[in-house]
Amino acid sequence: MMRKKILLLKNNRRNSAKWFLAMLMFFIIISVAAYSQESADLFRQNCQSCHTIGGGKLTGPDLKNVAQRKDRAWLTKFIQDPRAVLDAGDQYALDLQREARGAVMPALPGMTKARAEALLDLIDAESKLEKSQFVGVQISERPFTPRDVEIGRQIFKGYVKLSNGGPPCIACHTAHSIGGLGGGTLAPDLTTVFERYEGRKTLVTWLSAPATPTMQSVFKKQALNPEEVLSLTAFFQYTLQRNPEDPSTARLNFILLGLGGTLLVLGVFDVVWNKRFRSVRRILVQSMKLGEKQ
Amino acid sequence: MNVRSQISMVFHLDKCIGCHTCSIACKNIWTDRKGAEYMWWNNVETKPGTGFPTQWEDQEKYRGGWEKKNGSINLKSISKTRTITDIFHNPSMPSMDDYYEPWTYKYDELFNAPEGSDQPTARPISLVTGEYINVEAGPNWDDDLGGSRVYAENDPNLKNLSEEQQQQLFAIERLVMFYFPRICNHCLNPSCVASCPSGALYKRGEDGIVLIDQKRCRGWRQCIAACPYKKTFYNWSTGKSEKCILCFPRLETGQAPACFHSCVGRIRYLGVLLYDADRIEEVANKPNDELVDAHRSLILNPNDPAVISAALQNGVHESVIEFAQKSPVYKFVKEWKIALPPHIEFRTLPMLYYVPPMSPVMAQQNDDTVQSVSDSFFHDIEQSRVPLQFLANLFGAGHQGKVVYALKKQKAVRTYRRAVTVGDIEMSVAEKMLNEADCTTQEAEAIYQLTSLCTFDDRFVIPPMHREEAIEMMKDPHEHRSEVGFGFVEKPERGL
Repeated sequence: MMRKKILLLKNNRRNSAKWFLAMLMFFIIISVAAYSQESADLFRQNCQSCHTIGGGKLTGPDLKNVAQRKDRAWLTKFIQDPRAVLDAGDQYALDLQREARGAVMPALPGMTKARAEALLDLIDAESKLEKSQFVGVQISERPFTPRDVEIGRQIFKGYVKLSNGGPPCIACHTAHSIGGLGGGTLAPDLTTVFERYEGRKTLVTWLSAPATPTMQSVFKKQALNPEEVLSLTAFFQYTLQRNPEDPSTARLNFILLGLGGTLLVLGVFDVVWNKRFRSVRRILVQSMKLGEKQ
Repeated sequence: MNVRSQISMVFHLDKCIGCHTCSIACKNIWTDRKGAEYMWWNNVETKPGTGFPTQWEDQEKYRGGWEKKNGSINLKSISKTRTITDIFHNPSMPSMDDYYEPWTYKYDELFNAPEGSDQPTARPISLVTGEYINVEAGPNWDDDLGGSRVYAENDPNLKNLSEEQQQQLFAIERLVMFYFPRICNHCLNPSCVASCPSGALYKRGEDGIVLIDQKRCRGWRQCIAACPYKKTFYNWSTGKSEKCILCFPRLETGQAPACFHSCVGRIRYLGVLLYDADRIEEVANKPNDELVDAHRSLILNPNDPAVISAALQNGVHESVIEFAQKSPVYKFVKEWKIALPPHIEFRTLPMLYYVPPMSPVMAQQNDDTVQSVSDSFFHDIEQSRVPLQFLANLFGAGHQGKVVYALKKQKAVRTYRRAVTVGDIEMSVAEKMLNEADCTTQEAEAIYQLTSLCTFDDRFVIPPMHREEAIEMMKDPHEHRSEVGFGFVEKPERGL
């Protein structure tokens, strides 16, 4: 009786150890998976708009097998603070900047060394795959129609709401051919953005996941859907083709429009309050003086 | 019958010599302050002339008073909706230029001028900005300018005079003017009170004096646009509006208001009237030609027992009724009917009445002698220098009847007195004339007495004001006593 109990106890202890090991393994797997999942999300949100893995160059270089081109320590340092590396006069980094037409990779907030390493691990792992999940955003390559341009304009001006609820471009940006009053002046003029982003592919990719801190914070949770991205790209292609006017004439137009509008409003006021009290004495005296001169 | 008492006034225009003593008395007591320099609670205008502010009588411009619309009367300057739409700009507000920019002189430049080849002068400076100004207008700018092209010819009362009548008025040897002294009329249906969005204006229950509460006034200035007589003024320094207070502190101590007291020509009469407050709305809605009679019918006979008992019931003090029976205003307005309200067509029912002026005798120069052009001693009133229509526009809402009646009676009294004292007119002629003018010899004597031989006490029959009773109506007198007397004088200030 007594012995049996002891055996039971022993069995229990062995079982517990097994359980503990199983749980440990599970947590490690989960956490590793979660860690690589976090890196993938990080890549999707921050890197994908300029980089592919095996999908060719966008604004930034294709990152496939990047570890073979440059050593890991340099890469870790660069990911954490690209500006610092550039300022230090690193030739390789300066060459990259030239290739990217002057664009500097933004430093990401919260980019620790551990995260940079994880990102590099992810890139290594993805580079080994036949087809990485980051070869580039897959958006239709059908030719743009005038209808696309028009819808893009409507989206830009906010007449057509964005399906995920993002704010219209005009709130912060301006562009050519959106009307005399123009758009916001808070953010850059987007008239030539198509050229700046070197064409359709890059721009489409960028718009699918805007990576600058301001745009990201606005569109992270309410991303543009592929159709909207296409329409907007079509619109930006159109604004580039329309030979943009000299910005100073646009400013003059704006001032003239403002003056004209003011005069119109004053005219309406004058009509509405036509019966208002006007000076009595001065008019009386002046009209008499005029009469005497005649 | 809702009997109330009202301190009322009569100005006898035939006696006014245009000396402006009243204006100065008032200015010295009440408006010699910063922000009030341009105000003239009492002013004396020359008629024909444009007055102060310029052309105040033209309500097409100033939009004061009431207008009859769809069977009821409404304020011309404002309505409930327009209070909102015009909140940032009142389209009927006169500017300071329509009054005048008050000024003084830089006497320093005169007294301390260095020796030089030119006469030193004291240049005028604005009392508002303190900067040098060119004086272009004043409160009496057209004083005595009966025939002036700018002012007299633009008198709004000339509006329905024929071309011929207008030319007569300005023709050589017919050129004429008379004086028109004005204070607040303390109206029965005051448009200033009706227009105030803050409820700062009120008409005192016991004596009908219209006042602006300086604590409640928020400076909306609606009263300034709404008063057709332009007798409320905005004080730009305190941010409050002000008006004639009929010197109520003087009245409460048994003294006549300063302008009355100082009047050189003794043209001013003051007394209490009893009126029926229930009929005010009905009377204010009457058509123009009935207004003068209707307004007169509001005034009740203080000797009528029914009126007396109703008055007593309504809390009018016995002594006030007693003084109402002696009131010179009652005699002029109600018994003799020779005093008329100014511009009754504004429908505010003014309680200041004017005895219309007889024009001066018309004379012609033949060689070295000046002769009267009329055959009779006093010229025919239809032939008077001031066209009747002009006086009718001022005192009869455009209708001559009441003015003719008042002038005829005055002429008859004069003729009668000429017959009595000089005797170069037959008494029978004089009596016939009195008869035609609806006047008896007793009445003529009474008119003569009160017009020519009146003493201080005849002119100003000031009732005991009974402030204590008025206070009792509003609050506990013991409580009131603890709140007045020695204390702090609070100056009017902008804001709440």
